[in-house]
Amino acid sequence: MDNNWLLRVQNLTKIYGQATPGVLERTGPLANTNIDPKTGAVVAVSNISFDLYPGEVLGIVGESGSGKSTLVQMLYFDQEATSGEVNFKPVEDGKINLFDLSNQKKRYTRNHLMGMVYQNPRDGLNFRFSSGGNIAEKLLMANVFHVGKIRIRGTDLLTKTEVPVKRMDESPARFSGGMQQRVQIAKAIANNPPLLLLDEVTSGLDVSVQAKVLDLIRGLQQDLGISMIVVSHDLGVIRMLTDRTMVLKHGHIVEQGLTDQILQDPQHGYTQLLVSSLL
Amino acid sequence: MEKLLQIIDLQKKFELHILNEKQIDALHQVTCDVNEGEILALTGKSGSGKSTLMKCIYRTYLASSGQILYRTAQGEIIDLATANEHVVLRVRKTEMTYCSQFLQVIPRVSAMDVVASGLVARGRSMEEARSATSECFERLSLPKELWDAYPSTFSGGEQQRVNIARAMISRPRILLVDEPTASLDLKTKDAVIEMLLDLKRAGTSIILITHDEHTLTKMSDRSLHLENGRLKEVVYA
Repeated sequence: MDNNWLLRVQNLTKIYGQATPGVLERTGPLANTNIDPKTGAVVAVSNISFDLYPGEVLGIVGESGSGKSTLVQMLYFDQEATSGEVNFKPVEDGKINLFDLSNQKKRYTRNHLMGMVYQNPRDGLNFRFSSGGNIAEKLLMANVFHVGKIRIRGTDLLTKTEVPVKRMDESPARFSGGMQQRVQIAKAIANNPPLLLLDEVTSGLDVSVQAKVLDLIRGLQQDLGISMIVVSHDLGVIRMLTDRTMVLKHGHIVEQGLTDQILQDPQHGYTQLLVSSLL
Repeated sequence: MEKLLQIIDLQKKFELHILNEKQIDALHQVTCDVNEGEILALTGKSGSGKSTLMKCIYRTYLASSGQILYRTAQGEIIDLATANEHVVLRVRKTEMTYCSQFLQVIPRVSAMDVVASGLVARGRSMEEARSATSECFERLSLPKELWDAYPSTFSGGEQQRVNIARAMISRPRILLVDEPTASLDLKTKDAVIEMLLDLKRAGTSIILITHDEHTLTKMSDRSLHLENGRLKEVVYA
């Protein structure tokens, strides 16, 4: 294996409940459940390993409950991993497991080196702040304190994400769903992070707004070369945005490959079912 | 002449797990090669395995067994049937382009940007990319008022031309092109053929699928005839 990865994930596991020996063997696609029959523990993510390369867009698909969101939430430190290792080149040249960092370093990594866009804008934005304030929050956390500079950067980002700048001082609560999502994206990329995590960003948006958000994400990827992990149950979104795709079921990777191969020549029965269910 | 691509004993089976493990044998023991700088045509009836072969080369389909050895510009030999996905992506980004029968684009991106972005991704400036795109559209006589419109609203023939422009503009080292002249009138057909021949003169090797005699005789150096997933004969132009 070569060493050009940006992010390396090894044996990442998340178990809700008791992690008894053999729990991973008793769950997964073969057992056709992610609930341990012995203890009732839920295995959300089971032994997942993958590499993400600089500038690459990786898709993660799977039905609800397959572990997609838990996976990215662990990468963003929103959830604690049960076990596993994540190495990230911008942190100590990738030689340290991110989960072993001090809380202060974890915060630094999260605020300076990663961006996250949640399915629900309320998870990523503070509705008591203005849109500009939300972006400022991310910049402040990354130690940018000059008000003028924050204002300029905020204006820049909102322009880039096509949010009307004159509404910068309004709370996102007064925005439409698509606009909220674009404010969230502006906030997520405020510090030019090398890694952006996108969790079901277009679910619940109508198609014309969805097209606009997708177009924005593609543009950002092209202009800034950000590496991305795109979680979606929408294969159309995956096809449009990603180079490679992993298919998750019951917390396991059942198949991974080039996105066009996954969509046109799926090998696993579950993927074949997903693809053949596409409208 | 150096071989650019060597295909050895290629097999492709589709295993349909959701249809009671039904198996479809699409390619049997296909062995052939592509010379540097030639235009190789794949011919045969619908369902004979032409597109399957092409998609195996591009790795949209995973070969069931056999080898697809590709020699890169640096002289490295890569087995596209089994190579690491990142290696395949690199080959696609720098050397190999696939032009399918149908245009697949991002909604709400203009025809101009769809084509120009391919060049920008390869490091050219937007301005350069746009002027190259305009030239390409002109040669394909795509009406000017469509350049800034969204291709999803175009007719079949118009989409086809956007698709071809997008594939050709990056001047790949090897181009895989599936039915480039279907749904085009004779004049546009000839423009496409002429542009593909230009690419060949500039050094691009081309694998071509066509049902059209006119395109075949004007373009191909050699053609492989497929029948039921087997290579039947090789015809030299």
